[in-house]
Amino acid sequence: MDFRKTEEQELLLESIQELVERNVPESYIKECDEKCLPLTKLQEALIESGFIMIGIPEEYGGTPVDVTTMVLIGELMSSLGVGHSMLSNALQVDDALSFCSPEQQKVVMHYLLTTGINAFCLGITEPQAGSDNGAIATTAVRRGDGKVVINGHKCFITNADRAPYIMCVARTENPIDERHKFSMWLVPMNSPGIKIRHMHKVGIRMSTLCEVYLEDVVVDETALMGKDGYGFIQLMKNFEVERLIIAASSLGMAEGAYNDAVAYANQRVQFGKPIGSYQLIQEKIVRMAIKIENMKNIVYKTAWEKDNNIDISISSALAKLYCSEAAFEVCDEAMQLFGGIGYTSEHRVSRFWRDSRMHRIGGGTNEIMIHVAGRAILKKFK
Amino acid sequence: MKVIVCYKVVPEELKIEVNPDRSLSFKNVEWKLSQYDLNAVEAAMQLVEAVGGKASALTVGDQKVENSKLKKSILARGPEDLYLVKDEQLKEADTNLTAAALAGAVMKIGFDLVLCGEGSSDLYAQQVGIQLGELLKVPVINAVSKITPDGDRLIIERSLEDEIEILEVSLPAVLSVTADINVTRLPGMKEILAAGKKPVIEWDLNKIGMGHDLPKVETISTLAPEQVERNKILIEGDSELQIAELVEYIRRELK
Repeated sequence: MDFRKTEEQELLLESIQELVERNVPESYIKECDEKCLPLTKLQEALIESGFIMIGIPEEYGGTPVDVTTMVLIGELMSSLGVGHSMLSNALQVDDALSFCSPEQQKVVMHYLLTTGINAFCLGITEPQAGSDNGAIATTAVRRGDGKVVINGHKCFITNADRAPYIMCVARTENPIDERHKFSMWLVPMNSPGIKIRHMHKVGIRMSTLCEVYLEDVVVDETALMGKDGYGFIQLMKNFEVERLIIAASSLGMAEGAYNDAVAYANQRVQFGKPIGSYQLIQEKIVRMAIKIENMKNIVYKTAWEKDNNIDISISSALAKLYCSEAAFEVCDEAMQLFGGIGYTSEHRVSRFWRDSRMHRIGGGTNEIMIHVAGRAILKKFK
Repeated sequence: MKVIVCYKVVPEELKIEVNPDRSLSFKNVEWKLSQYDLNAVEAAMQLVEAVGGKASALTVGDQKVENSKLKKSILARGPEDLYLVKDEQLKEADTNLTAAALAGAVMKIGFDLVLCGEGSSDLYAQQVGIQLGELLKVPVINAVSKITPDGDRLIIERSLEDEIEILEVSLPAVLSVTADINVTRLPGMKEILAAGKKPVIEWDLNKIGMGHDLPKVETISTLAPEQVERNKILIEGDSELQIAELVEYIRRELK
C-alpha cells in the first residue's frame, strides 16, 4: 500500500492552498460567516484560476480527476475553513450533465463559469420526506398544452435564494412501477407561485437554507430533467462519492481545529507553564491525533477503492458515519482546549465546531448510514 | 523573443534546524523553488504571451536540481522546456561559479533575454544576475519593476529609493526583476498534468564547456547566531524621558 500523494497531487494542493491564502483571509471568512454571506472572493478566484472546472467532464472544458484527488482537495479546503462546496457543486453538475438536455447543460455550465456556484438548488427534502424521501408529495401535472403545473413544499433547501433554478423532485403521473414514481424538473426560481423563507442555521452559514413553497407553478414540459420517472435513479451516479467527500470535509475541519489547538497548547501559559505541558491536555491532543489518523485511513482507503473499481457502498457509508462523528469530537475537544476564547466567535475553532456538527445530519443522516451499511454487511454473511 | 528564466532550488527555510553546536541541519529539509525566481518566470511568460516567442527555464546545481516534483512545478508555470546543469561541483556554488555555469548554458541554448529573480530566497546575495550579464558581455539591469516590449528593445522601469528610473535596453540583455513586478500565476490542474510531458535537457559542466578544477569559495563553517535570553524590559509611555531611556538601553546593548 502506498499513502504517498503523487507529485501532481502535491502541486495541485499547493496551488489551491496558495489561492485560498491569497484571496480568502480568515477575517473575510469570519465576516461572511457572521453575515451569512457567500464566499464570493473564493468563487471569483476559483473561476479565474480555472479550479472551478475540477471534476467537470472534459467535453465541457473541465478537468476530470480521480476520487482520491477530489477527496484530498475537499480535505484541504475544509481544513482552511472554506468548506468543500466546490466539490459538491462539481458532483451535482456532473450528475446533471449526464442526463439533462443540451439547453439545460448550457444553463448549468454558463452559471458555473460565471458565478462559481451551481445553477440549481437540490429540491428533494420536504417536511414529511427527510430520510424517508419516498414520501415526497410534490406533484407535477401535465396540463395538455405543453405546460406542467407544480405544487409542493420543499424544505432545508441549500442556496434556494441564490440559485436561479431548483431541481425539483415531484411525483410522476401514472408511474410504471414503484421505482419510477419521481421525476425531476428544472424550475426557474423567479417563476410566479414560488415563495421562499429563510431558515437560520447553526453552522455552514456561508450557504443559506430555505423553505420553498411552489403553488401552481407553471413550466414548459421541456423543463423535465432526464427521463420521466427516473428522478432519484439519475442521481445515483455520484452519491457514494458525495458521502466520501463529506467524510473528507469532516476530516479537514478536524485537522483545522486540531492544528489550531496544538499550536495554542504550546502558547497558552497557565500556572507558569504552557498548558501543553500538562498531561490532561496531552491526552486530548493524542486522542485527537488518533481520530485524525483513523479518519485519514478510512477516507483515503475508500477513495482508493473507488479509483480501483471496488464497490464502496458499505465503506462510503462507514466513512461518512465515522468521520462526521470523530470530526465533531475533535472539534469539541479543540474548543475545550481553547477554553473561554474557544466558545466565542473570536476564534475559528467555534466555527469548525458548529460546521462539523452538520455532517452528522447532511448527506444522509448517520442513522441512515447505519441502515445502509448494517443491512449490506449482514447480507454479505448470509 | 527567446527568453531564458533562471531559478534556484533552495531549502524550505522553516524546516532548517539549528543543532546544539549552532551548525545547521538540513536533515528534514524539503527543497523548493526560490520564491523570487517565480516572479521572473511570471515576467517571462507575460513577455512571451505579449510578443510571441519561447520561454525556457534553466537551473544549475548538484543532484537537487533533479527533484522531479520541482521540475514539474517550474514547467507548470509556463516555460516550454527546462535545461538543467547538474554537476556535483556545483554543490554550494558561490555566486561567481553559479553565474559562470548559467552563462555557459545560456550561450549554448541561445537567447534574446535572460530573466532572474532579485535574489535567492536562501542566501539573497543579489549577485548572480549582474555577474551573468558581465560574463555574457550584454547589458544587465537589476531592480526591474516593469518591462514593456517596444519593437526590438525593452522599456524598463527600476524602482529606486525615491524615484522610478526609466531605461531603454537593447537585446540581448539580462534583467533581474523585483518581487513586486507581478503576481505569480498558480499552476492549474491542466498545466500540472502537462508539465511532466515537457522536454527536460540535462547537461553537466563538461557539456557547457567548463573544465574541472573550478575556482570555488570553500565554506569552513556556517553557524546560527547565539541565542540570547531576552531582557524583557518594559518602558511604558511616550515622553521625552522615556524615549531617552529606551535609547540609552539600546546604546548600552550595542557597546
